[in-house]
Amino acid sequence: MIRTYLREATPSFAWRNRLGNWRTEIFAGLVGAILVIPQGITFAYLAGLQPEYGLYCAIFVTLFCSVFGSSSMMSGPNTAVAILIGTAVLPLAGRGSPVYIDFVFLLCLMVGAIQLLFWLMRGARIFQYLSPAAISGISAGAGFLIIMASLDSILDLSTFKTTFFYEKIYVIVSDARDLVNPYSLFIGLCTIAGGYIGRRFSPRFFIIIAVTTGYLSGLLVAFVWPQPVTELEYLGRMPIEWLPLHLPNINMEYLMMSTLLIPYAITIAFIGLAQSLVIVRELKMETEQDINLDKEVYAQGLANLLAPFFSSFAGAGSFNRTKANQSLGATTPFSGIASAGFVLVLITFLGPILTYMPMAAMAGTLFIVGADMIKWRDIKHYAQVRAELVIYLATFISIMFFGLATGVVVAVFLSVSVFMLRISQLELSVEPIESGILLKVKGALFYASLAHLTEKFHSHVGKNLTVDLQFTTHIDQSAVDFFIRESRNMAAQGVRLTLLINEKQGYFLKKMGANSDIELVAV
Amino acid sequence: MLALDLIRPLCLVTLLILVPSIGLAQQGQPSIQQLLQEPFLDDYYSNVVYGYEIVTDTQNHASRYVGNSLNCSNCHLQAGTQQEALPLNVAGMYPKWRAKNGKRNGIGLRIRECFLYSLDGIMPPEDAPEVLAISAYISYLSQGQIMGAEPEGRGVPTLPDTGYDPNPATGRAVYLEQCASCHGAQGEGVAGMPPVWGLNSYNKGAGMHDIREAAGFIWANMPLGNGKSLTHQQALDVSAYLNLQIRPSDPRDSKFLKLLEHLIN
Repeated sequence: MIRTYLREATPSFAWRNRLGNWRTEIFAGLVGAILVIPQGITFAYLAGLQPEYGLYCAIFVTLFCSVFGSSSMMSGPNTAVAILIGTAVLPLAGRGSPVYIDFVFLLCLMVGAIQLLFWLMRGARIFQYLSPAAISGISAGAGFLIIMASLDSILDLSTFKTTFFYEKIYVIVSDARDLVNPYSLFIGLCTIAGGYIGRRFSPRFFIIIAVTTGYLSGLLVAFVWPQPVTELEYLGRMPIEWLPLHLPNINMEYLMMSTLLIPYAITIAFIGLAQSLVIVRELKMETEQDINLDKEVYAQGLANLLAPFFSSFAGAGSFNRTKANQSLGATTPFSGIASAGFVLVLITFLGPILTYMPMAAMAGTLFIVGADMIKWRDIKHYAQVRAELVIYLATFISIMFFGLATGVVVAVFLSVSVFMLRISQLELSVEPIESGILLKVKGALFYASLAHLTEKFHSHVGKNLTVDLQFTTHIDQSAVDFFIRESRNMAAQGVRLTLLINEKQGYFLKKMGANSDIELVAV
Repeated sequence: MLALDLIRPLCLVTLLILVPSIGLAQQGQPSIQQLLQEPFLDDYYSNVVYGYEIVTDTQNHASRYVGNSLNCSNCHLQAGTQQEALPLNVAGMYPKWRAKNGKRNGIGLRIRECFLYSLDGIMPPEDAPEVLAISAYISYLSQGQIMGAEPEGRGVPTLPDTGYDPNPATGRAVYLEQCASCHGAQGEGVAGMPPVWGLNSYNKGAGMHDIREAAGFIWANMPLGNGKSLTHQQALDVSAYLNLQIRPSDPRDSKFLKLLEHLIN
């Protein structure tokens, strides 16, 4: 047992033998690095942090996850995690202030610790219960939140705060002339247009095309109108360090206030792992990588635990970068390690250019990312089954109105309850035989499914009953109690209950105290 | 006589009430040195300390929006606590209308414009953490000031009319004699002293680019530690000399219009 843990806890580098085509891996890493730079900056904005923290996340979380993991999954800054960090810490301190940053790092430490706890408890399997409809619903809801957040920067509403999205839309529409900054809107629209037109030519790099269009339109605006007129927000110079070591600030006062962060830490840990594991499971099905799910949970948890020591916030697996990675032919964690290195090098050289990147261009790319997360195809797909559609829509709507954290809880609750409802339905068939009635039971027999069986028993009072339990997957104590009670009633009426069972069930029934009133027939 | 007898105990009582309350008011706010040693600070005081760090070391703590190599404390001497050297205890004066931009200015806009002009950088967004931290520091320094009233020694002294026009040529001589040892013969700034012209200094939109403003600052504070040693006329001359030097263009000018002008001429 301990040996398994130790084997998972150390970086394996078993992929070295498969590293046939290292040039492909390095190229995939470069593409991943180019893709992650706009993401890192915008997701840091969503988390309420300065852009360099998002880039550190793109470097160090990716690096640790690839070194300790076993798959070609690209980890790093993640939308849902970033939004949740923002909603968790904003009530405690001003956006981006020193205390805010301390709390973000504290939150990330908690997330990492909780994810490692999941690993110790072999928790990877829990995430199978989160239905795909719920995950799509969460993703669509996060997309909606991202679109709403991007509007702030596209329209330049930096000090404008509302609780609900319809409030915001109402105020924007009714007061557009005073509120909306036309220069900012122009740059944002150029970025979005660039992205959607660019997608026709290059479906993989359209984000880069969008950012470039936004940057150039920003330069054009700045050339004609000076900043005091346009009041545009720029990214500014990023103080990037190659090794941004940082000791998280932990003291009694922080720990006392941090109890408010625990629910969010659990939600972030859960949603981060859920997304990473969906990606890893897909990779495992589609490629021939030797992937250990528990090791991936460990890698993600450790990366998030170490992240605050390198001035970075928590991350999770990234769908679009992993897809790009896969389509370029990368099959080992080496591409992730290469990507981390390339981000560092690229940022060092791009830094001076990025100084005059308008925030509206960044927000335009966020808008595209958010719009991509709401997939019409998903809605059509889940509309075919009513339960799935209910999960999808309920998750989406609760995220729209109550935020991502509540939405995740709703999604988990609904998918577990649909799962329970399905599993508690018994397949019962009634056949008349010579001695009375034969009742065939398929499914799991436990406290939640007994009601169904009780009905059948009561509609055949006064007849000899034979219950066939061979196709029953599970019997629990309350089911045995039920049989004992019914058999006693039936004996009082002069009829008998016969159970057709296999050996294991017989052993269990006897242990649970089945008496002579029940006739047990082993098959 | 009776009145005098009454006044004396009254005065005593008033003193007894006033003295401890003045003492309390002074104790009410910890000093920056105390705050720097504190292991845990709440949101306000951590912002105050962050603001203090930005003001004293802008190059490292707010490099995001800075375009030259100046620090706030190069003009706001002693981290904005020295009178007649643009002290920062002015929170009670804002919001107010300013002719510079023709708007009602909050303290936030005032700080953001400092980044744009004096630090020749980018105007930070309204909710940038750096701006909020400097606002917190300014309101910390302004504790005890009367709302709307001018604090003592605000800004720089206005020099009286000397009867002569400022003369850049004499200004150059004064500069080379008195200022060049710290600010360099080419105004580049030596050994940690700020550059006073060139592309690493404030731009043409800054308050210091105004001859009278700069002359008042120079007369009251320069040479550093030996303020008010120059005559009014010398300060005006040096200021005029500085004003003629090369420095970054005014960010309020449209580069497009400048290019058009250049092409038409």
